[in-house]
Amino acid sequence: MNLRYMTKELYYQKRRTLMSILGLSIGIALLIILNSLSMAYRQAAHVPLKEIGADITVQRSGDVPKELAGPVFPCSAVTIRKEEVEKIQKLPGVRGVGTGLLLWVFDPNRAWVVLGIEKKNSIGPSILRSSVTAGRFLEDGKPEALVEEAYARQFGIKLNDSISVADKRFPVVGFVDASRAAKIAVANVYLPITEAQNLAASSKELQSVSPFNPEDVNLLFIKADQEKITGLASEMKGILGNKATVATPDSFLKLLGSLFALSDKFTLAASLIAIIVAVLIAFKTMAGNIAERAREIGVLKAVGWTNRNVVSQLMSESVIQCFMAGILGLLIALVAAFGLSFMKVNIPIPWEMSPTPHFLPGGGDQIFKTLRLPVHVPWNLAFFAILLSVIIGGMTGGLLGRHISKIKPSEVLRHD
Amino acid sequence: MTESTILSGTNLSKKYDTLEVVKGVSLAVNAGEFVCLVGKSGCGKTTLLSLLSGLEKPTSGKVNLDGRDITASSEDELALFRRDNVGFIFQSFNLIPTLSAWENVALPLFPIKMTSEERRKRATELLGKMELGPRIEHLPSALSGGEKQRVAIARALINNPKIIFADEPTGNLDSSTGEAIMDILNRLHKEKGVAILMVTHEDELAKTANRLIRMKDGEIMS
Repeated sequence: MNLRYMTKELYYQKRRTLMSILGLSIGIALLIILNSLSMAYRQAAHVPLKEIGADITVQRSGDVPKELAGPVFPCSAVTIRKEEVEKIQKLPGVRGVGTGLLLWVFDPNRAWVVLGIEKKNSIGPSILRSSVTAGRFLEDGKPEALVEEAYARQFGIKLNDSISVADKRFPVVGFVDASRAAKIAVANVYLPITEAQNLAASSKELQSVSPFNPEDVNLLFIKADQEKITGLASEMKGILGNKATVATPDSFLKLLGSLFALSDKFTLAASLIAIIVAVLIAFKTMAGNIAERAREIGVLKAVGWTNRNVVSQLMSESVIQCFMAGILGLLIALVAAFGLSFMKVNIPIPWEMSPTPHFLPGGGDQIFKTLRLPVHVPWNLAFFAILLSVIIGGMTGGLLGRHISKIKPSEVLRHD
Repeated sequence: MTESTILSGTNLSKKYDTLEVVKGVSLAVNAGEFVCLVGKSGCGKTTLLSLLSGLEKPTSGKVNLDGRDITASSEDELALFRRDNVGFIFQSFNLIPTLSAWENVALPLFPIKMTSEERRKRATELLGKMELGPRIEHLPSALSGGEKQRVAIARALINNPKIIFADEPTGNLDSSTGEAIMDILNRLHKEKGVAILMVTHEDELAKTANRLIRMKDGEIMS
């Protein structure tokens, strides 16, 4: 391989070189963008759960009491027993479990959505600690309440007021703006979980349809090994029965409905098509270029270049062109990724995870988590694309070089 | 074949399907001899030149070049043999359009392990002898026909060949430029003692050669 010859050939045959580079770069850019988009949708699907510090949420649907009075469970979140929680905690791949207790409390003058939270567990709604807008977060061992800021404003609740929930009074120690934090596991009033458990255990209406002990819960927030999430989801359904609702990033991905979000198979198929297109473009343009140079190859052979010398020269030219096409494709993909990152995506929150009673105003509305699509080109995808370009260049140059090097100089050098 | 014979072809034939282009030709060229192969267009001169130089394999017969039976060699062996022992000059110059004059001259040296400076030095020296010193960095597109052919001659000489094969070297040049090229070839033959086998259809040019071989319909007439 002669570097001087290679660079001059690429430099002076600008049009030919540019056509080859442009053609292949489009295929490479397509490959990178398709995969980046697919990854962005996957990443977006993690967001609703990540916002509450979990990888999986678990709840179980059941019946609502005939009469809605006092504390009751939403029909989508009934009792999960302590023993069931312990079984889930022991599953291989589960790194931590947070719990919560969601209640609808129908008092004579007001309906509350109450969420009992574990104050010290970093998995689950205690993540709201960072969303306190006034006052302070709940403290250990104290029967006190946090109120959603918008709800407090609507009903004129002030800091240090005392609110009555199911005939029990709780001082309001702070306001939170949950909309800053999460779309799931949000409520009007947040209580220490033990207080919420006591309210649930003492409710006859609730006990009549969903027996509840003071150590039971109805929401689970689970941190798990990423690669085991799908398997864990089915194991949890096995423990909790067919009424269990297990939300995972995959289930959110399905709700997104985009082609990129639908399946790995689509991305794989599209990537394969992009690679095939890239290879065909590279092959076609290079084949045309090399065919134009048949006479030149004849000269090289006549003056003493061996087949191997010819192949390595053509291969090096092809590899360099494809490498440059890979770099250009990567640059195009980076620009496209930047543009696509301004695209907004609405992730629908399943109705089972909506805390508001559907029969109350706004309760039946579809909730969405809206976010900018986190499109970026990871370095390993960029490296793969460049490596692929070089491999395509090597293969194309090698194959075409081997073919053209077989020509007989006497055939192409006969004078015109 | 005598001790001074550099090239010999024995009973050489070349068939393309049923068409026999060269018919049982035998000839020899001595070291330092200038031989002209003359004949009308299509009589098989260029094919015979290709057979004798190892660019093409004969259907039958043998070629012995510098004591080696080249008809038994593989394609790569032949390429290496040509690189070390043979120079070519073509009618249409066959310079690489993207390479400068000196790079074209150094083309046979590219696959050989040596520094770029060494290649350039050898090519520049030869171009100087061809009176192309100021043109070494020019691309072929910036050279006249005569200059291109002088670059091609320099390329043929870069490896100090024992024999040069020239196929209608003046065919694309006007008469005065053609004469100048013939002067260079004659000078090379006399000063360097390099053997030359030249194909031409012009009797006038062939007069300067030591020996003239006439071809007709694939056979040697005289």
